[in-house]
Amino acid sequence: MRKADIPPGTLELLILRTLARGREMHGYEIAESIEELSERVLLVEEGSLYPALQRLLAKGWVKAEWGATDENRRARYYQLTKTGRKQLEAEVSRFDRVFTALARVIKST
Amino acid sequence: MAFLGALGRRLAMLFRGTRFDRDLDQEMRLHLDLKARRHAAGGIAADDANHAARRAFGSPLRIREESRDAWGWRWLDDVAQDLRFGLRGLRKNPTFTAAAVITLALGIGANTAIFSVVNAVLLKPAPFEDLDRLVMVWETDRNSGTTREPASVPDFFDFRVRAGSVESLSALTATQMNLTPVDGEPVRLAALRVTPSLLSLFGIEPLAGRRFEPQEDSVGAADIAIVSNSLARRTAGSAAAALGRAIRLDDRAHTIVGVVPDSTDFGTLQLLSAAAYSRSFADRGETTRVDVWIPLRGDPKAQPRENHGIFMIGRLAPGQTASSTERELAAIAATLEQEYPANRGRGVHVEPLEDVVLGRVRPTLYMLLGAVALVLLVACVNVASLLLARGAARAQEIGVRRALGASNARVLRQFAAEALVLTLAAAACGVGLALAGLRLLVAMAPANVPRLATAAIDPRVLAVSLAASLAAAALFGVVPALQARSVDLQSTLKNDGATRGAVGPGPSRLRAALVVGELALAIMLLTGAGLLIRSFWNLLNVDPGFRTGGVLKAEYQLPRSRYPVDFSQWPDFPEQHAFTAAILASAEALPGVDAAAVAGNHPLDPGFPTSFRIVGREEEARAAGWPEISVRRVTPGYFATVGVQLVRGRLLTAGDSTRAAPAALINDATARRFFSERDPLGAQIRLFGTGATIVGVVADEKSHGLSETAPIAVYLPLAQAPSADGAGVLLVRTSGDPVGAATAVRAIIRARDAAIAVFGVETLDRTVSRSVAERRFATLLVGLFAALALALGAIGVHGVLSHDVARRSREIGIRMAFGAERRAVLRLVVGQALVMTALGVAIGAAGSLALTRVLATLLFGVTPHDPATFAAAAGLLTIVALAATAVPAWRAATVDPATALRM
Repeated sequence: MRKADIPPGTLELLILRTLARGREMHGYEIAESIEELSERVLLVEEGSLYPALQRLLAKGWVKAEWGATDENRRARYYQLTKTGRKQLEAEVSRFDRVFTALARVIKST
Repeated sequence: MAFLGALGRRLAMLFRGTRFDRDLDQEMRLHLDLKARRHAAGGIAADDANHAARRAFGSPLRIREESRDAWGWRWLDDVAQDLRFGLRGLRKNPTFTAAAVITLALGIGANTAIFSVVNAVLLKPAPFEDLDRLVMVWETDRNSGTTREPASVPDFFDFRVRAGSVESLSALTATQMNLTPVDGEPVRLAALRVTPSLLSLFGIEPLAGRRFEPQEDSVGAADIAIVSNSLARRTAGSAAAALGRAIRLDDRAHTIVGVVPDSTDFGTLQLLSAAAYSRSFADRGETTRVDVWIPLRGDPKAQPRENHGIFMIGRLAPGQTASSTERELAAIAATLEQEYPANRGRGVHVEPLEDVVLGRVRPTLYMLLGAVALVLLVACVNVASLLLARGAARAQEIGVRRALGASNARVLRQFAAEALVLTLAAAACGVGLALAGLRLLVAMAPANVPRLATAAIDPRVLAVSLAASLAAAALFGVVPALQARSVDLQSTLKNDGATRGAVGPGPSRLRAALVVGELALAIMLLTGAGLLIRSFWNLLNVDPGFRTGGVLKAEYQLPRSRYPVDFSQWPDFPEQHAFTAAILASAEALPGVDAAAVAGNHPLDPGFPTSFRIVGREEEARAAGWPEISVRRVTPGYFATVGVQLVRGRLLTAGDSTRAAPAALINDATARRFFSERDPLGAQIRLFGTGATIVGVVADEKSHGLSETAPIAVYLPLAQAPSADGAGVLLVRTSGDPVGAATAVRAIIRARDAAIAVFGVETLDRTVSRSVAERRFATLLVGLFAALALALGAIGVHGVLSHDVARRSREIGIRMAFGAERRAVLRLVVGQALVMTALGVAIGAAGSLALTRVLATLLFGVTPHDPATFAAAAGLLTIVALAATAVPAWRAATVDPATALRM
């Protein structure tokens, strides 16, 4: 499948959803997770990933801790906060509404 | 709540500083490595994999910036950057920076210092409760035309009983007492005799002990005193320890019953200074602290109504004003006039105490405030001009920035930041200047300024000065950036000499306008200073009527205990006369002494006036309402010592002794007023119940001060009219060193009586100088401000012209290449300067006309709109402006056409 840009404004939603799976991940893992789940359609640009992560940190929707990878390299691990989880729900329902509306318009005769 | 959390996180990020960048870098590097590894696993070579990864990653710098921006502190980073850049720019232009900072610092510092003084003296609420309800109840003398006279003791008691519009009517009288300490020399103290209610009237709380009780004010009660904290500490080590101790005042033991703080000053000095007489220690012209309070012990039955020696102060009853109170008291006074012939011609005048204390000082202080505000204005204008010049020179820089994508707002902010740095630096220096200036002012100020000791830097004023400077700096720092918006980027960047730095004539004209404004302000200050200087000069040139150079005085007071005053024996007070004769003989024997005399008052001491009659003209006196006359008691040598000329008849001699026929001299003013058609010689004058024959007329002495007319006066021989209070002054005319004479004179008096305090030892020169201290102070300050404004104006002119010449050097080169003479070029530049100066003078003239009226009360011998002074100010300004033009004009005239054209 051809690669597509992530629609603007949805990167934060994707990150939150990825982290909602429970596990704490570092930046590369988050990007890999999104790319895998979207079957390599959605490619995460690092240039947008890290600023987005900082924004989420600033808003308090995720929190980060320093830890070690399997190879003992220092990495920052992110996980969802309570506020982040609530925000995710709100964002998902909004996304659903928009997506349904879009689909209705496009699929209409 | 969520907001606080967000703020907390953001602040935490701020404090992480460079660690934030390093952490981010580490994260991104890990990401890159992992990505490269995946590419390599997919079959690409390691190097290519790295390369591909990095390319896909994007610019790490941009990522870092965007990540930082996520935290919302971008504006802070920008501002910090602006400030850093601004600082750097200022450092690279040291002359500009120094000029601007010094100018602003002077403006801020001077303003803060002066306003702090005005605040402490005039504006701060008084430390005493109800000060705005307190009033002075003066008596007036319709015949003499005086409105601020002390009252008599019987009058006071009558007013207190009969008046309903004023409560707690209290009385005080000022005096000086000899303190004989256990060890050490006797000292002269300033003292107040008060009725018990006075201290509570002012809300004065004792530090230790108590106030006076009503019964302690009765005649014959024990001798007690309340002392100042300083005196208590000097006597006993502490306030508490002083209670119950006895101190010897005027040779009598007084028990200390209370101690009050040193700062208990409700304007005593100013109150006394405003009075027509009985000013006591207030006339010494020094900042004197009242050290002793003693019960007044006024006995209405024993004190005659003719003696006016006490001042009345009271509080307005609720609902009363000064005028309504005056009406009621005037009615009472009229009744007293009917009842007692001694009260003929005496009325009352009620004046709020605040006006009395602050009235004399207010006009001077407000004027100083106005002057210093003008200086601040000039300073701001100067800095604005400097900033404009610098801004115009940076047109190219602005062009580059805009070409690189800076928004207008960004450029403006940069300039504003630089202005901010400038102003803050100036403010820091300004505060230092203000502190130093304030200390200087307090030290230099004349004694008459009340509450000066409490003056401290007022933060409000600092804030206002700072705000004004900031506004000026920001405004004029930013104007060049605004004007640069219209600049053609291409030509600016091309570094074309013709247009480099040329932002059009706009800023130049604005700068020139600013300098014109500066010059106008400088003219106003110069005119004001000129008027004050002329007044002061006129005052100093007034002939006081007595010699001031080389005459030394030494004052003393003979205590009644050893120099009894028995009025039944008057004028035969043997102890006093013996004392006078002894010190006179010793003084005349001193080497270097040309003449010596003893008097009741020194020439600048107005003394006490008294009513008088000329025998045979009593009806005329009653009908016309003759005023009181000053009484001068002198030894025969007085006139030679002090240099008073004889006009008619003869001077007093040793023959006018105690038992001889009473003789008197009158001064010229008296002769002109009462003997214009008659011969005064031989007339009989009656005062104090005795008569004397007028034997001569002498020239006037200005004993009320240089700026007042000489009062009518009568001179009585000391041998025939000794002082009732034992006060005296030894005057010596010496051709030698005054300091040595002072020591000798002190020694003479101490040798005769070691327990007497000698005070006021100084040359008459100094006494006169001190009497004009207030004027001198105001003149000095305004002169200083004017000089400052002049200097700043000159800098402004110089700056504008220099800049103009530099800008037009190409044009000048062309002119000269076409044959213009140097002289024509000079005329061009100088002409510009003259135009600016002329405009400045014109505007300044209008301003002066309006403002100098404010000075009217402070002038002497010159009108506020004196044309000569203004012409002199204009002339001075023109000369200085032309001098400032010299360098730019020279530079213009020496432009080498070849170099200029090649630029």
